[in-house]
Amino acid sequence: MSVFPQRQSRFDRWRYLVLFILIGTIFSFYILRLFDIQILRGSNFVNQANENRTRIISDPAIRGTIYDRNGVVLAQNVPSYNVVVIPGYLPADEGNTQQIFRELSELIDIPVSSGDTDEEAARNFTPCYNELGISEIVYIATTNWPFQATPLKCNVDQDVAMVVMENREEWPGIDVEITAVRQYPTGELTSEIIGFLGPIPAALEEYYVNLGFVANRDKVGYAGVEQTLNDTLAGINGTRTVEVNVAGEIIRNLAEPIEPTPGSDVYLTIDTRLQAIAREALISEMEYWNTTAGRTITNNGVVIAMSPKTGEVLALVSYPNFENNRMERIIPGYYYEQLSNDPQRPLFNHAISAEHPPGSVFKMASALGVLNEGVVTPEYEVEDPGTITVIQRFYENDPGKPQQFVCWDRNGHGMVNFKWGVAYSCNIYWHKVAGGFEDEIPDGGLGIWRMSEYAKAIGYGTVTGIELPGESDGLIPDPTWKRINLGENWATGDTYTAAIGQGYVLATPLQVLNSISTIANGGKLMDVTLIDRVLSKDGTILQQLEPSYRWDITQDPVINVYNGNNPSGETKTVEPWVIELANQAMRLVVTDGTASEYTIPRHAELFRNDSSQSAGKTGTAEYCDNVAQAQGKCEFGAWPSHAWYVGYAPWDDAEIAVVAFFYNGSEGATLSAPVVRRVIDAYFELKSIDAAQSP
Amino acid sequence: MQNSRNAWQNFDFWLFGAALLLSIIGIALIRSSIAGNIELVDHPQRQTTFLIISLGVLFVVSAVHYNYWITLIQPMYLVTVAFLLFVFTAEARFGAVRWLEVGTILVQPAELAKIVVILALANFFANHEKKALDLKTIFQSALLVGGLVIWIFLQPNLSTTIVLLVIWAAMLWITGIRIRFILIAIAIVLVVVLIGAATGFAFLQDYQLDRISNFFFPDPNARYGETYNVDQALITIGTGGWFGQGYTQSTQVQLRFLKVRHTDFIFSVLAAEFGFVGSVVVIGLLVLVIFRCMKISQNASDTFGSLIAYGFGFLIFFQTIVNIGVNINVIPVTGLTLPFVSYGGSSLLSLMLGIGMVESVAMRSPNRKQIKQP
Repeated sequence: MSVFPQRQSRFDRWRYLVLFILIGTIFSFYILRLFDIQILRGSNFVNQANENRTRIISDPAIRGTIYDRNGVVLAQNVPSYNVVVIPGYLPADEGNTQQIFRELSELIDIPVSSGDTDEEAARNFTPCYNELGISEIVYIATTNWPFQATPLKCNVDQDVAMVVMENREEWPGIDVEITAVRQYPTGELTSEIIGFLGPIPAALEEYYVNLGFVANRDKVGYAGVEQTLNDTLAGINGTRTVEVNVAGEIIRNLAEPIEPTPGSDVYLTIDTRLQAIAREALISEMEYWNTTAGRTITNNGVVIAMSPKTGEVLALVSYPNFENNRMERIIPGYYYEQLSNDPQRPLFNHAISAEHPPGSVFKMASALGVLNEGVVTPEYEVEDPGTITVIQRFYENDPGKPQQFVCWDRNGHGMVNFKWGVAYSCNIYWHKVAGGFEDEIPDGGLGIWRMSEYAKAIGYGTVTGIELPGESDGLIPDPTWKRINLGENWATGDTYTAAIGQGYVLATPLQVLNSISTIANGGKLMDVTLIDRVLSKDGTILQQLEPSYRWDITQDPVINVYNGNNPSGETKTVEPWVIELANQAMRLVVTDGTASEYTIPRHAELFRNDSSQSAGKTGTAEYCDNVAQAQGKCEFGAWPSHAWYVGYAPWDDAEIAVVAFFYNGSEGATLSAPVVRRVIDAYFELKSIDAAQSP
Repeated sequence: MQNSRNAWQNFDFWLFGAALLLSIIGIALIRSSIAGNIELVDHPQRQTTFLIISLGVLFVVSAVHYNYWITLIQPMYLVTVAFLLFVFTAEARFGAVRWLEVGTILVQPAELAKIVVILALANFFANHEKKALDLKTIFQSALLVGGLVIWIFLQPNLSTTIVLLVIWAAMLWITGIRIRFILIAIAIVLVVVLIGAATGFAFLQDYQLDRISNFFFPDPNARYGETYNVDQALITIGTGGWFGQGYTQSTQVQLRFLKVRHTDFIFSVLAAEFGFVGSVVVIGLLVLVIFRCMKISQNASDTFGSLIAYGFGFLIFFQTIVNIGVNINVIPVTGLTLPFVSYGGSSLLSLMLGIGMVESVAMRSPNRKQIKQP
């Protein structure tokens, strides 16, 4: 071994020492760092690791079905088939994958490849709404969520879905996802009642997410009972806490899964047949008058039918409305814009949200007051010369300005008592008894304070509580309101106009109906409702309509007693005979009054048939809103007017009450009354058909 | 003169045992790292095969007097340069290539380069020992290293470049470089860094720049960005606690949240499944390997042998601190593996070859009594 020269080595010890110190320092630091990470901050990292592997999956609950009172489906879920890909399960062999893509491409009519994907396309990827080819979608899905189902094509035909399902074995990674889509079989006919669904709005996202909803997946009601009964219909999403790997593949359940609770089914009080008749009556009447006139007189109207005894709404038509089936998947932007920009406001529920002067229908509120307060006896006759002049006084010793008030019939009705005051809808009668007139009606008549008490007692000025979003409360003015809002004192003339439902008085069609319905029902102000019953998915009745009322004005003292302008603190009821007389007067409207005659032959049959023994009250409410003002129609004595009519039958034991309203429909008697009478007749026809079928 | 029987009495079993134990722990951890990834299934078996081959190499190399290598240094140097040149030109054709496929075994020329540089520098400094370490010697050694490193740098393989330059610096240190030269070198490095900053580090690849900038300025919102791997590594280590979650029980590893877990981040697997105690034991074994190499260096019978032991010891030290440093997020991601433990056949082979040479030095060391006391 001596061939190698021995070379003695001795490096500086201190240089080794420096190195050892370096080694020791670094490893000591590392061990300290490990101690910090693993022991001191360990639990923090354990939490992060658990967060990594734990995923909470929300299983959507099935939304409840909406039926009408007879079980006709108004809103239901229908399956929608999406062809999806789970890239993690595609065959490993690229050739096989391409083969699947080619076959699938032919079936679902999407190209295998649509060219290159850039980052932009990947970032903006929206499932169902993109123009990408299969390869591109799979590429995006593979990089982002390889074990989640990504839709290749949404809403395919059931036949296509069946083919895909049959080919599951040959096409690993390709599957069909079945999602529920909301469908409205009755569409436009009931859309103002049912509403529609939309995505969870950003502003309410936190609220809904806390309730277990999933943003961008679950939908919530945007209008109608879909909105108001959302909690009942939506059910509760199920949750599964699962362990996933880095690719998102589910390994196992970490906790007992909570099954979704399906939403409850809702039966409405609506009778779809009556709804259809009411809508048809409204539209055909509109078309008739518009066609006859050769111009658009009215293209906006309401019909509501309810049961006075129970408060159930049987039909509720707001025209024009919208086609809610067009919103079943998404709310199409162009359609929504079109609806929003329509001057007739189709998305607005005119039946419950529109506030109009109620016109002569409001005289019934005055009527109750006049008799109950003893301003006049029913027999007391007031002179209607056609035109009267009163001195407008804004304060006690105001010398005043003279102002003319005219009856709708300029010839006057001569000497008029209570019943004929209603039957002829004699304005002068109501002006005088409500606001006082010289010596004929001394002491200022009923006066605005007491009038408003009776109006409120039959439901004016407050919402009815119907289960629809956006109900308005109308307006019953009083001197305090006028001083605050208009900065002016109450004048005698204000009482005159308020008494006939003009001036500042505003009401929704539903309030107008409900007020007359209360009188027809002997003074009980019913709680208006749309919901007959709510059933859980297993058939248990969760809620059953029990008719309830807010108050009975003949029993509950809801009328505040006034001393001049001040409430005395005492309250009283309305005498039953007052209501009885009001009903008789409204019967007289139909038999001999404003609604007793038809003006055009088309309505002859309707008016001849009095089998239903109906009563009613017409209303021709002059208005001057922004639209009329812009058209220069607001001329004194010739203002445009809305047409109102509320009818009920039989007059002495009412089981149906109907209101019809035509915006700018001029005569209540000529436009609205025929529609109401058609709906009332149809109601009794349907009743007899139902009775024949179920003895 | 010692006969070979006496020589085996000087065989350092502490060094050998620690290296072997680390390799076995490594195979166990590689097995845990499979975590259902089909591509990794055969890795434990491959690593085992490589370990057996490497052990054979180790014993053969130990048996041979290390001085025989002197004659091989020049040819090995040239072959390595040829390999690197081939890889460098192949890169132009196929993109980044660091592997040469020889039969079914992949040879990484960079691993070969580490051995060659250690041997070449050890030989060079042994021959220039008599002269004071003057500037000329430093320059000559720089040329020796540079002839190899330039091709690795141009690949570009920054991490191996740094390893080789650090080995050169370590060699200069131990052979007695003057402190003022060190100060001058530090000044030069500073100038280079400043120039680099001024030119926007044009010589760094984008991914290298990203790694460095992500290390110094991590984006707190980047859940799946460049910081993902180190973040997951930190979480993985953190779940270990005192004694770990148990072998093949770490959710971070088994559900594959931890990436490149069989090579770069195998230390995180160890820390998660065997905890603080397990990590300290493995660090202890690595420190034992390093210290045994240094002790053998101090007791070597000649300068060449001393520098071989020193060089390999330092190589293992440097790779260890860089790899663990990356795992515990105190150093930017570099791609250096954990010696003996990480998966990698040619890496294990070259490390065991190095241990074999160090054993060869130990066996021919005159002062065995001192060596036997760890």
